[in-house]
Amino acid sequence: MPEIIDATAIEKACKEILDHYAPEPRYILAIMQDMQKRFNYLPPQGLKMLASYTGVPFSQVYAMASFYKAFSLKPKGRYIIKVCDGTACHIKGAETLVEQIYKYLQIRPGETTRDGSFSLETVNCLGACALAPVMVINEKVYGKVTPADIERIIKEYGGWADEGKQC
Amino acid sequence: MKENNVKEKGCTKIMVCCGTGCTANGARQVLARLEEKLRGNKNFEVVPVLKATGCNGWCEKGPLVKIMPEDITYCQVKAEDVDEIIEKTLLRGEKIKRLLYRDPQTKEFLVSLHQTDFYRKQKKIALRNIGEIDPASIDDYIERDGYKALEKALKYMTPDEVLEEVIKSGLRGRGGGGFPTGRKWQACKKVPRFPKYIICNGDEGDPGAFMDRSIMEGDPHTIIEGMLICAYVLQAEKGFIYVRDEYDLAVKHLTQAILDARRCGFLGKNILGSSLSFDIELVRGGGAFVCGEETALIKSIEGFPGEPRDKYIFPTESGLWGQPTVINNVETWANIPVIILEGGEKFASLGTEGSKGTKVFSLVGKVVNTGLVEVPMGITLREIIYEIGGGIPNGRQFKAVQTGGPSGGCIPAQLLDLEIDFDTLTREGSMMGSGGIIVMDDTTCMVEVARYYTNFLAVESCGKCTPCREGLRALLAILTRIVKGEGKMEDLELLQEISEVMQEASLCALGRTAPNPVLSTLKYFQDEYVAHIIDRRCPAGVCPELTVFEIDAELCTGCTLCQKNCPVDAITGEAKKAHIIQQDKCIRCGECYRSCRFRAVKVK
Amino acid sequence: MKLIIDGREVSAYPGETILEVCRRENIFIPTLCYHPAFKGQGVCRMCMVELEDENGNRRMVASCTYPVQEGLKIVTFSAKIDKVRKNIIRLLASRAKGSDYIQDLAGQYGVEPLDLPGLDNEKCILCRLCVNACKLMGSSVLAAVWRGIDKKISTPYEEAAEECIGCAACYEVCPTGAIEMKEENGQRIIWNKVFNLVLCQHCGKAYATEEQIALVERKTGISLPALCEACRSQNLAGRLKNFSG
Repeated sequence: MPEIIDATAIEKACKEILDHYAPEPRYILAIMQDMQKRFNYLPPQGLKMLASYTGVPFSQVYAMASFYKAFSLKPKGRYIIKVCDGTACHIKGAETLVEQIYKYLQIRPGETTRDGSFSLETVNCLGACALAPVMVINEKVYGKVTPADIERIIKEYGGWADEGKQC
Repeated sequence: MKENNVKEKGCTKIMVCCGTGCTANGARQVLARLEEKLRGNKNFEVVPVLKATGCNGWCEKGPLVKIMPEDITYCQVKAEDVDEIIEKTLLRGEKIKRLLYRDPQTKEFLVSLHQTDFYRKQKKIALRNIGEIDPASIDDYIERDGYKALEKALKYMTPDEVLEEVIKSGLRGRGGGGFPTGRKWQACKKVPRFPKYIICNGDEGDPGAFMDRSIMEGDPHTIIEGMLICAYVLQAEKGFIYVRDEYDLAVKHLTQAILDARRCGFLGKNILGSSLSFDIELVRGGGAFVCGEETALIKSIEGFPGEPRDKYIFPTESGLWGQPTVINNVETWANIPVIILEGGEKFASLGTEGSKGTKVFSLVGKVVNTGLVEVPMGITLREIIYEIGGGIPNGRQFKAVQTGGPSGGCIPAQLLDLEIDFDTLTREGSMMGSGGIIVMDDTTCMVEVARYYTNFLAVESCGKCTPCREGLRALLAILTRIVKGEGKMEDLELLQEISEVMQEASLCALGRTAPNPVLSTLKYFQDEYVAHIIDRRCPAGVCPELTVFEIDAELCTGCTLCQKNCPVDAITGEAKKAHIIQQDKCIRCGECYRSCRFRAVKVK
Repeated sequence: MKLIIDGREVSAYPGETILEVCRRENIFIPTLCYHPAFKGQGVCRMCMVELEDENGNRRMVASCTYPVQEGLKIVTFSAKIDKVRKNIIRLLASRAKGSDYIQDLAGQYGVEPLDLPGLDNEKCILCRLCVNACKLMGSSVLAAVWRGIDKKISTPYEEAAEECIGCAACYEVCPTGAIEMKEENGQRIIWNKVFNLVLCQHCGKAYATEEQIALVERKTGISLPALCEACRSQNLAGRLKNFSG
């Protein structure tokens, strides 16, 4: 996914997304999902365009964007690490994995590394309880992860595995 | 496509389970290798047909590869095993012993999955096709009597007769509420306003539950068929399937299924030559647990934050865009075709007085065989956990089972013989919910479990009404101080009182059931609360502030497993000699305690 | 239709809520999120009452959203209702430690706020009356954002909102004094936005923001005289006098 920074490029990309849908409030969720996939977050400009396109107040669009967990109001990293904290994973030590990731990447859930490589999230059950504890990086699922596996997994994505070193 | 089907009959089929569990364990690589090796393979007269199926349920043993019609199932298959499978089994008809499941008790090698304890007690209705068909193929579904129920309804039954059959079946909503499905349809049918809408609730969000995911991924057409039958009863023309966006494969398979159904004339105008016209739209959810509540889900489809409203007027009267609407959960829809095809009475012959048919449970946590199981209502927890689930791993002791998702309750050992259905679980302070069964052993702290669920709900509540939002905030703060060792005995009364008010006054079912984890643990595990408050000790060794681990030198064999698993290198010792935990380094994560096979790590 | 409220027969019209009937009949039900200008929201849950069926079984409902039905038997006060209301006040008082209004209510109900971490000096109880008022004024810049225990009332990104006209309807309707507004040097500051106030030509009082007047003029197409409400009615009364005289 190419990095999109300048406002005209965002506007153009958002316009393309909006063109796929009729201007009705019921498509707000779908449009936001497309924007999230495109930018890895919902740019304020895109939300404004979405509001005027569907005729819904901007405040209500913002309320939607902040309500649903699928959306992020801040830019996310290239690799999104999702540690499942569903019940099965929780009782099999998901929190230790989060601690371990902090040790290597210095990020807590909801944060992104300074270079924009990794974002960490804890998520509700991913429905792979038989593999607990589970961790997903972008689309790849890692099952039965032990704290000792974290270093190797992060290295797969080019993350620094030296303790404490910021990436 | 049809000709292909004819050719397939009688020839060997290889079915690779590509459910989430198996895929994560490498099923796709197995599939790819099989594909590569079989394509144009000159050694076969008729090249076997390869299929990627949905989740077989036994995720513990995946990837699973099933060979039909011989009914051989290989477990934990790796890509490297493919050559041997082709060589020995497919070409020479020999079984590969090391890939067969071996019964841990009898030590017998079992060829068919159906001989295993995990499958023997199961009765598959909602999951009847999963693992047997390629979910991306409408022909596979049709071959197993798919869309026959629709045909029967449209050609030989009136809408009232169809409704009568659903009422007779006694089917109750599988999403959590347990409201009788037939009565729901009836209420909606009575409202003389059109258009009417039909919704499939696929926003499965309970931690520890994945039955809906499995059905949407593994047998998407059964949902479409169920909705079509309801559309015939209500004369509805439009349906929506609301699916969690995180479920990529479910979205993919449902999209494909809708397209195929349209192509084959099952969706669209004048279906099968009848007057019924119906189409389905897929809506991807935004990731909000509360959207499992039907009025919140409706808000979400309409394009608002998913906040529930008071349900004094049911959605059957005023639902989506104010129109009469029927919402049922995925598993409920999956039962409908079978009820119509085989009759409501047959369905009602299974189960208990108040809860008919079967229920799919996702069996997870501290149990040997984790996975999806479908069993008749009224089965005991003991049968599920010990006979199907194979008991508690690592010789640990059973402590509790949590049912019904985050707002369910924890059921203790003395109730293991409870025959579970909608009513018995509610009576004991838990609930059926969508069917999560999470087994907990003696390394699970019940106070921490209550805190965990409360925290989940505090974040997932929509935050609209006072009792739920502020009640959860208060419960969470109190539980947090108890697990940190700063609780007071008065806190227990406070937890009780706030919980009771939440049950009475909250706006929706999420808020009214949210205190269940607290109330049920207070009821059955009060001694653990007291241990945290009075003795400043966590008996399960979970709460870091209240736990000290030590290694019993007598029991330690020096296997070094704990040393390897320790994330902070706090364990020292040579191989084959007793190990020691350095308390100043230890972060009390419990990895050593949970992983020790000799139970040498103790909670002080 | 007829209802029975606390044993007394009362008549009601279809489409009314229990609360609306009780207000008309002067039957007291406490509320925090209700205002007659808007529909019942079912948010604060102070207005819970009990319904009794023919077998004497009772269940609790929110009176502000429950639509009346023929023969409904309603109980507006009981030990159970009292417990719910006291606890709701206690929970709100534990949240809104900064609101004198809520702390006073806690005193009246005889409950002590709980000692909970976070939310220092909070005044808002999330009754959403401000959101409704803003919507009614046609601006809709306020919304309940986020969810769960993080829920709050805010403009998008907590920034000054383009559509905000500084009408202060939100400020006026807020029961707990949670919305901050400052007026000084001919300016009004509310929701992080600064507005120039217009002075009454007659008495010199600051009576509206420029944006407010512009909006009214745009909507009605009428150019208004720059008079405050009091002077405007005085003016009108004078004109009427001339007319009749």
